[in-house]
Amino acid sequence: MIKIEKRNDVSPSIYFLTPILAIFLTLFGGGIIFYVLGFNPLEALKFFFITPISDLYGFSELLVKATPLCLIAIGLSFCFKSNNWNIGAEGQLIFGGIVGGGVALLFYGHDGFYVLPIIILSGAIGGMIFAMIPAVLKTYLNTNEILVSLMLVYVAKLLLDYLVVGPWSNPEGFNFPETRQFSESARIPVLFDGLRIHAGIFITLITVFLSWLILYKTYLGFQIKVSGLSLKTAKYAGYKGKTMIIIVFMISGACAGLAGVGEITGPIGQLHRNISPDYGFTAIIVAFLGRLNPVGIIFASLIVALTYLGAETAQIFLQVPKYTGQVFQGMILFFLLGSDYLLFFKIKFLGLKKNEL
Amino acid sequence: MNTKLRVSEISKIYPGCVANDGISLEFGSGKIYALLGENGAGKSTLVKILSGVVRPDKGEVFLNDKSIKLNSPLDAKKNNIGMVFQHFNLFETLSVFENLSIDSDKKNEDLRLSVNNILKKYNFKIDLDIPVLNLSAGQKQKVEIIRCLIRNPKVLIMDEPTSVLTEQETEDLFVSLKQFSDEGILIIYITHKLKEVLSLCDEVAVMRKGKIVSVSKTKEEKIETLANKMVGENLSSIKKKINNFKYSEEILKISNLNFRSDDPYETNLINLNFSLKKGECLGIAGISGNGQSELFQILSGEIITDYTSIKFRDKEISKLNPRERREYLMAFSPEDRISQAAVPELKIYENVALNNFKSSNFFEKGLVNEKKIKEHSKKILSNFSVNTDNVEMKSQFLSGGNLQKLIIGRELITSPELLVCFNPTWGLDVGAINYIHETLININEKGKSSILISTDNDELLKLSDRICVIYKGKLSKIMYVNEVTPEKLGILMGGGSID
Repeated sequence: MIKIEKRNDVSPSIYFLTPILAIFLTLFGGGIIFYVLGFNPLEALKFFFITPISDLYGFSELLVKATPLCLIAIGLSFCFKSNNWNIGAEGQLIFGGIVGGGVALLFYGHDGFYVLPIIILSGAIGGMIFAMIPAVLKTYLNTNEILVSLMLVYVAKLLLDYLVVGPWSNPEGFNFPETRQFSESARIPVLFDGLRIHAGIFITLITVFLSWLILYKTYLGFQIKVSGLSLKTAKYAGYKGKTMIIIVFMISGACAGLAGVGEITGPIGQLHRNISPDYGFTAIIVAFLGRLNPVGIIFASLIVALTYLGAETAQIFLQVPKYTGQVFQGMILFFLLGSDYLLFFKIKFLGLKKNEL
Repeated sequence: MNTKLRVSEISKIYPGCVANDGISLEFGSGKIYALLGENGAGKSTLVKILSGVVRPDKGEVFLNDKSIKLNSPLDAKKNNIGMVFQHFNLFETLSVFENLSIDSDKKNEDLRLSVNNILKKYNFKIDLDIPVLNLSAGQKQKVEIIRCLIRNPKVLIMDEPTSVLTEQETEDLFVSLKQFSDEGILIIYITHKLKEVLSLCDEVAVMRKGKIVSVSKTKEEKIETLANKMVGENLSSIKKKINNFKYSEEILKISNLNFRSDDPYETNLINLNFSLKKGECLGIAGISGNGQSELFQILSGEIITDYTSIKFRDKEISKLNPRERREYLMAFSPEDRISQAAVPELKIYENVALNNFKSSNFFEKGLVNEKKIKEHSKKILSNFSVNTDNVEMKSQFLSGGNLQKLIIGRELITSPELLVCFNPTWGLDVGAINYIHETLININEKGKSSILISTDNDELLKLSDRICVIYKGKLSKIMYVNEVTPEKLGILMGGGSID
């Protein structure tokens, strides 16, 4: 007979070490998969995790990918910490991109230092408004925010599709589904010539710092923490539950919107159908891998960003599809949830003692 | 037929706690045995061992001098040991008969026959074909007892059976138990209520910290002697001064309070009216689930029903939330310590910060003032004798009694004019109960008022100046404590009327 019991005391150090364990298990699991596919596992893993960042360009690419992941995951941590399950960061990212992109097209041909801040701000506001839809529906109509936020992802995707094919498509673009390239004034400057790493990384770092401040040092952060642990207690303490749901969704949506506008004004430079390789969904993994802790999320975003790069390198060198990256992301989440389960519960094997009767 | 049950050198160790430490006891049929002890004394563990739910690390159980193995509840049933747990194991939506047939291997017709015989023999009045959810707590307990009786038990173990019963239902239960005992069923009665031991049982074994500290005839015992054995120290029992508050200032007035809930599991409150004087304690009795929880939440501001029914010191406070009500010097101690009054995962000082009244300055300009909160927490820990001084400790490591002291301390350290508390001593040991009772009497003596919503009648009679009963969302008339008897309370709690 197997019996599952809850563990009462989980030490904080082990709580933060299990994500690292999950990463090692993922490497091990990945090695097995490569072996089954007929590759030398160590060599394949090297192509996947070391080759991509073995030069400066690769390292810059890593940061380019980690920037939006970290930003979105930080925003999501506000939601997840307070028991609000915002699964639609991808939609908020796209909608932020649409709004920011629209403003960028509006300023097409304009010069001036004010252009870029306005675009970035409008992107953040776009994501924020889009995230408020599930929040308001949850607070006033009792809908399930998981479903609403998830379904809104497809709304945002289809809207983007329509815009880049229809009204916003590049008049000189031979009917390609994309907008004009934004003008120079609407682009986030790159930090080094020849590398794609851009100033958006500073927005991310500032957001991380502000989040840490809010979550750990302010009354709002305390209220978020208490509501996340026990809604009943939050109510008893007199916290305004509905307002708080809307605030965390707004923060989360703004972060996703920032990530979206950062992508289109940064590395992409225009709107097209695929402005995000599912950053909004992958960021959920980043948030949990980083234990919803701002510093943890920085490290987690770097590791998950590496799976994106690794998949591209593996595609070139090993001729495996780039979706291998998603396999690795899935494995990370799987092993993380698995080790969490064992962290919080213990499994007891009780021998069958029928013969004692 | 005579039954002899003997446990020998039973030990059970849980991580960090010796639940049973070499327990040996002997029981013989024809008598009712009490197993008395505080919460955490090890009674439940011993009972679980006897009913096969828990296996002992050491020791043996003998039934009629034959060693028996109790590896599962099924083994207990096979050995004719029946057990009625404190919490019922019934399917609410199934009928009484369906519930009984689930774990019976008799044919339905035979089962119905034997159940009907039992009903007749013991004069139980239960309709077998209505769903269990329509039964009162007393009737549900009878269903559990019938379930045991079907199997012709030699031993019947009752675990804190009266905690959910009214006075009248308790009396009925005692009559039945005596009848079973006369028929030769060995009865082991687990409780921490001393009065019940004296009125029902023949012999009493007292447990403390996992050990048996005394076995004696109840005839030779008194409430005080048993209480002291149970706690292991001499308890001073304090008494409240009688006061009628005729000339005191009115502090709280509830007028025409109504509450209608959309949730079928909540109770509607119907036209409540009462007022509270300065320095007075109003007790609200009732069987749980009659609207106490809703009333508490309305008083605390967790539920806002309307904008006109609650006046506190002549100010309309009906639409204020709990935090805003605290500004007016109200304080609240909810029933549920672990998931409402405090968060076990939070550190002690963080739980203290939940009571963020205006002058606390816990949060200045939106920022957490950790130093201030910690100083304040230290003061609570020492003023209310919580057995730690480490404010960084997670609250889950506090025992129930210490957690309750922390919560009451958090609420009282601001010297509120009114404390509303709901089952403040539920599940605590006698020492902690005594402490909380003293504290509650103290605040009344200092001229502060309190509302005590409780399901424990002894507690209500000890602490209240006036008492009323809540039944199905309605309040009975309010009586001075000297005109109240447990019998009167029992009748009102069961929905009857007096005079």
